[in-house]
Amino acid sequence: MSNAPAEEIPAEEIDLTEANEVIDKYLTLPGNLMPVLQGIQEAYGYVPKPTIDLVAERLNVYPSQIYGVLTFYAQFHLKPRGRYIIRVCVGTACHVQGAERITETFFGRLGIGHAETTEDLRYTFEKVACLGACGMAPLAMVNDDTFGKMTVQKVDEIIETYNARPMK
Amino acid sequence: MVNLTIDGKQVAVEKDATIYDAAKACGIKIPILCHDKKLHPFGGCRMCLVEVEQMKGRLIPACTTPVTEGMIVQTTTDEIVKARKLVLELLLLKHPIDCPVCDAAGDCDLQNLTYEYKVNMNRFVDEKFNHEIDYENPLIERDMNRCIHCGKCARICDEIVSYGAYTFINRGIEAKMGTEFDGPLNCEFCGSCVSVCPVGALNSRPFKFKARWWALQKTKSVCSYCGTGCQLTLGSKDGKVLTTIYDENQGFHNGQLCTRGRFGYQFVNSEKRLTAPLVRKNGKLQEATWEEALAEVTSRLSAGKSDPASVAALATARLTNEELFLFEKLFRGTVGTDNIDHSAGYAHEALTKGALASFGVAASPAEIADIQKSSQLLVVKSDAYETHPVIGFEINLGVKRKGVALRIVSDKKGKLTRLPGAKTTVHAPGSEVALFNALCKSVIDQGLAAEGVAGLDALKAAVADASAEKAGVTAEEIAAIAKEFASAEKGLIILPIGLGYPGHNAALANAAANLAILTGQVGKEGAGLLIMGEKNNSQGAVDMGIYPKATGLNAQGIIDGCTSGNIKTLFVAGENPVVSYPNRKKVEKALENVEFMVVSDLFLTETAALADVVLPACSFAEKSGTFTSLGRRVQNVRKAIPAIGLAKSDFEILNALSQSLGGARYNNQGEVFTEIAATVPAYKGLTQAGLKDEGAVYPVAVAAKLVPAAAKSAAPAAGKLALVTGSALYHCGTMSRFGEGPMYVCPDAYAELNVADAAALKIVEGDQVTVTSGTGAVLVAAKVGKRVPQGVVFSPYHFGEGSVNTITDGSEVTYVTVAKK
Repeated sequence: MSNAPAEEIPAEEIDLTEANEVIDKYLTLPGNLMPVLQGIQEAYGYVPKPTIDLVAERLNVYPSQIYGVLTFYAQFHLKPRGRYIIRVCVGTACHVQGAERITETFFGRLGIGHAETTEDLRYTFEKVACLGACGMAPLAMVNDDTFGKMTVQKVDEIIETYNARPMK
Repeated sequence: MVNLTIDGKQVAVEKDATIYDAAKACGIKIPILCHDKKLHPFGGCRMCLVEVEQMKGRLIPACTTPVTEGMIVQTTTDEIVKARKLVLELLLLKHPIDCPVCDAAGDCDLQNLTYEYKVNMNRFVDEKFNHEIDYENPLIERDMNRCIHCGKCARICDEIVSYGAYTFINRGIEAKMGTEFDGPLNCEFCGSCVSVCPVGALNSRPFKFKARWWALQKTKSVCSYCGTGCQLTLGSKDGKVLTTIYDENQGFHNGQLCTRGRFGYQFVNSEKRLTAPLVRKNGKLQEATWEEALAEVTSRLSAGKSDPASVAALATARLTNEELFLFEKLFRGTVGTDNIDHSAGYAHEALTKGALASFGVAASPAEIADIQKSSQLLVVKSDAYETHPVIGFEINLGVKRKGVALRIVSDKKGKLTRLPGAKTTVHAPGSEVALFNALCKSVIDQGLAAEGVAGLDALKAAVADASAEKAGVTAEEIAAIAKEFASAEKGLIILPIGLGYPGHNAALANAAANLAILTGQVGKEGAGLLIMGEKNNSQGAVDMGIYPKATGLNAQGIIDGCTSGNIKTLFVAGENPVVSYPNRKKVEKALENVEFMVVSDLFLTETAALADVVLPACSFAEKSGTFTSLGRRVQNVRKAIPAIGLAKSDFEILNALSQSLGGARYNNQGEVFTEIAATVPAYKGLTQAGLKDEGAVYPVAVAAKLVPAAAKSAAPAAGKLALVTGSALYHCGTMSRFGEGPMYVCPDAYAELNVADAAALKIVEGDQVTVTSGTGAVLVAAKVGKRVPQGVVFSPYHFGEGSVNTITDGSEVTYVTVAKK
């Protein structure tokens, strides 16, 4: 008989209360998987693994199918996302206006690449195809703020501004 | 019926048929890759494009387009051929041309169609996929580089298996067939996905690089594990069974197999097989000649003829009908003893005593086909799925496709619990009879009993004190189950029996039969009671009379007789009582004590090791004959390979003994079947040739009668957990231990606990725990989950090491303590 305490199995520890609330809200709705996953993403900023198991259990859907849905839609994220999402357009208009230099500068300054998140969870960087404001090319967005006629200098200004913003 | 013209041929088909079905019906083959007759139409691959006169201007997929009246269809025109060639070219753009090292070659739909459509060049150029191959599990290799995205694996796993291991992940060019979190495959390994994969993306690893497909000799036979009676095709070469081959047209199950059937065949060519007779000399088993071994057995049996009561014989229900018939004739006839039994009585008394009393026949009134025809299933034990996995698939299909309502009454939850709309009632362990009695009482009290049922008053009196409480269920739930079953149009009760379920005996069969009879569910299609025997020929063993009929001893009596010395000679054909009969210590002592024991078996089992003479027997792949499945279907078993080493089939062994003891002698097993057909009433008129590939279900004349069943009151022991035994999904009996497949997935005995109990005992998954009862203790690995309710431990019985029969004594529930080692 060993007296050592049971070994802790390392698992992603998260509070499932909010996920349960989301599921409760849509439990009886036919075709409820999408709204449930969207609700969970809104609550947690991404879809954590334990919530997938929870949804599978409570909605009686195979975890594999949920994973299929999550990877099909670009709107879902399986990893934690930054507080500030920087999106730089690399569509045709922005591309000819030098969008590549903008993205490269962000990469260098933040030390992350496309679709990656900084370790402090402050920034997530994404190249996107078109943000629908080609007249302002090259274009960048941080969450809902828009920055037109981007330059390399402006990249530093943006990072300074958002470094000073609160995390919550 | 809808009339249409396909390639100039007139055809009339059902209105829900597709163009593909209609073409098939009139013998026209339309090429397919993603379509499967067992699955819902998908329409993904575009190989089945055809032209429809009324829908000119575009090509129409035949597999998803329903027929309409007057449709005129062309299946082969220049335009169609061009389109199909394009489909193949596009598929071959990504699909690697590694056919020389691909095990699917020869059996590959893509390869065959490429050949048929002469696609010898590709106008397009692209990079191949570069996915990592999943070698994580020992049974199924997943090489997604070869995948053509037909989605059949995901569909069969969802629609039929109901496990849902696969899904399409990502999208566009990055889409691939994947698993949850794109991890390694971790499922029940039934291999259904491998069987339907049209290319070599999913492979059977045990068969990898064993033989080219076209070099295999293909033999149609019947699986030798559980009582379902699945047909299978053995692929053999050079005297070895190398694989099972999928044939979608085989059996009621359309070629569908479980992990045992598909991956458990390796016991046939196991290196542990006995290849020569063994005779005990100076206390040690030593190799001997057949003459020597048989002479010794003959002299013992012939001495036993003068005192038949001192001779006893146990047979396994894995033998063929012919062998069992000969066994019965030899021991009951020639030797003259009635001390004959099989499977310790646990696997047949529900039939030989229960069904016989309730229905007048020692067989189930229902058959397998009734499952999908039913409207309400009442499944005893959630793991009807685990004992008979392919029956589980039938239940899945019934529930999902035919809208059959499903109620499970069990002492734990299982996979069936998760089916859509399934209702599960978890009752107190060992209270099945009490539960059925309470249901009968509720049916009577609610006034739902069918009219004119004989013996109603006696039953009323017998169940007067039945209560929901005794089964550990609420009265409301009992009333609800009684009502739903009684008011169902067609209600079918499914009851698995076997060595793992000591409580599933005559009384439970009577109690279940009472409910079916009381609610008027007997004698209808899709209704009644289906008792599922454990082994491949459990029903056959009953039909051939391998149980004591008059004054003879049953298995328990025989074991006791060995202990007391009353039984001096014991013949064991394929049984392994040491591991499978309850109370291992007692059985071991008895078998050590018996004067002379002869065992015929494939392996030197725990029982054979105690014998005085061991005869090497043949597996099902080395002999012909018939098995009778739980649905009373008699099917042909065919010899695929020659006998291993010097092994002889039990037919040859028994025939030789019979002859030397002055009994009957047969030239071949076929002669025995002819005699069976002449002497066993149920088999009247059957011939082996007449059984053909599909077999024949023998009819039963049911004379239903209410037979009151007494519920034992099992008082729960304070502070102890209730141990219930059963079957693990991957195993059947003790033979599956010699199959690589089942042993890879489930190698050792385990005890499954509820999370709450485990937490209280400080046990985590994988811990070694000691399970102790009044009769002994075993050390096994712990499994922790929510499947078993609090206060219950589940353990499968198949294993020699840590065998659960060390701690069981044959009662429904054994109260045990569990402690971390």
